[in-house]
Amino acid sequence: MQVYLPIAELSVNLFFLVGIGGAVGFLSGLFGVGGGFLLTPLLIFSGVPAPVAVASVTGQVVAASTSGALAHYRRGAVDLHLALYLVLSGVLGAFGGVATFALLRDAGQLDLVISVGFLVLLGSVGVLMLIESTRAILKQRKGIVVRERLPNQHNWIHGLPMRVRFKKSRLYISVLPVLIIGLFIGFVGSLLGIGGGFIMVPALVYLLRVPGNVVIGTSLAQVVAMMAATTILHAVQSQSVDILLAFCLMVGGTAGAQFGASAGKYLRGEQLRGLLALLVLAVAIRFGLSLVLAPADVFSMAVTGVAQ
Amino acid sequence: MSRLLLLVVAFVLAAAPARAERLVSQVSNETIEITSSFSGERMNFFGTIIPDAGSEDKFVTGPFHVVVVVLGPTQNRVARQMSNVFGVWLNTDQVEFSNFPSYFHVLSSGRLTDITDITTLTTNLILPESHTLAANSADWWKSAIFGRELVRLMTEEGLFGVQENGVNFPADNFYSARLTLPSNAPPGPYIALTYVFKDGQIIARKSEGFAVRKIGFERFLALSAVQQPFLYGLVCVVLALFTGWLGGVLFKR
Repeated sequence: MQVYLPIAELSVNLFFLVGIGGAVGFLSGLFGVGGGFLLTPLLIFSGVPAPVAVASVTGQVVAASTSGALAHYRRGAVDLHLALYLVLSGVLGAFGGVATFALLRDAGQLDLVISVGFLVLLGSVGVLMLIESTRAILKQRKGIVVRERLPNQHNWIHGLPMRVRFKKSRLYISVLPVLIIGLFIGFVGSLLGIGGGFIMVPALVYLLRVPGNVVIGTSLAQVVAMMAATTILHAVQSQSVDILLAFCLMVGGTAGAQFGASAGKYLRGEQLRGLLALLVLAVAIRFGLSLVLAPADVFSMAVTGVAQ
Repeated sequence: MSRLLLLVVAFVLAAAPARAERLVSQVSNETIEITSSFSGERMNFFGTIIPDAGSEDKFVTGPFHVVVVVLGPTQNRVARQMSNVFGVWLNTDQVEFSNFPSYFHVLSSGRLTDITDITTLTTNLILPESHTLAANSADWWKSAIFGRELVRLMTEEGLFGVQENGVNFPADNFYSARLTLPSNAPPGPYIALTYVFKDGQIIARKSEGFAVRKIGFERFLALSAVQQPFLYGLVCVVLALFTGWLGGVLFKR
């Protein structure tokens, strides 16, 4: 069944859209990530114009993260105070990201920056995660008890000025690193159409030492608020949010995420992280290859505006 | 758009002098409506060549050739070229073509070069390449190269095309042509220009307009995305929040 997307101005198979939404939703439920980093490339590779894909996936990430964020909130696992700081700086970063997005699109370099961005970001995060999870798995095999990092251990980042107390996270730290993390993820997220959960979680854990019980919830709440703001920014700035495309992805995504979450219970944490690392690396390699391999067609075209 | 208007004006002026033959033609659809299940639409162009009103002749004598040119709304389009810079492929050069047709199909009753000469084809913008001559920047050589590539890309997308057997003559002076408008045909005003050739000369021509437009819900969405972008974005976010919440509720055991 074909469905016509009014903003992308092309007709796509409805089951294909719901299907990739569901498949990515399953993976995002399994690994506890938003799935934007998989969905945006998939849409671009299947012919949706890059600006429409990025802007519409932003809307889908909101939906995918909402149910998770609500569940964590009910359990009291969201540090709203910390999330507020992250969201405020994130929205500021998103303003920069959306403006850069428009500039790059007009200069014809958006695809390049998206490819390089995904390669660098996914490549480095993927490698780090793979190393960490392999170590954990090996240690477990040898029977060594892994000592959890103490949440209250301090590093130099905590000593910066402008310290604020975050009660729920039991932290008394400088707001500067918090704001910088928010700014960076807001910028990158709006530019690449990803929620940034897979950067946010390690940043909160390793840089800020946020305790494990509030990390996921806080990150999810931040993703919902920031991606909601980014969706509106994209809608206003580039008018490339396709609500029909986003909705088809949302329906598939939210359903798939539930199945993914229950499937995730059968796997251990480090195994999950190892699999996610492989997935992330695969996407990074795909983007890397598209940069260095000779393209099938060195010429491309784009519409730059409607004639007066 | 202005180029298109100019073309129409030139058309009307050129059609003014009385000739021996006249063209009576019709397009099957005045509007093509894009609905949610739009997957392209088939169109028919047909007409008869008859003696002109002031003419003494009772019959027209052929053989005739008919060329139907279908032009979509104009856009500004760029053609970009990638090249390898230090091992990385990136866009390094581009040429912008302003007022470039977003859709262009030629249907004819024979090989275009057999019907008439290149000059006539080019001055009447019957050949796809003739539309690329209007590039506003860059030098002539570069716009010629990029123009050829742009036509090739548009052809691969199914937006440009030449069908040299697209027009049939079921009778000596009656022709019919069939065109399938693809699902990615851009919405907007279209124009169908019909030329009748005899011995390599244009003896009659006519232009007809038709529109491709989104209707109903699709039209509403596309319009509100442009006219009320903030509200549109807000609705999108509320929809996302609601879908996410509903998903959580429905699947919770």
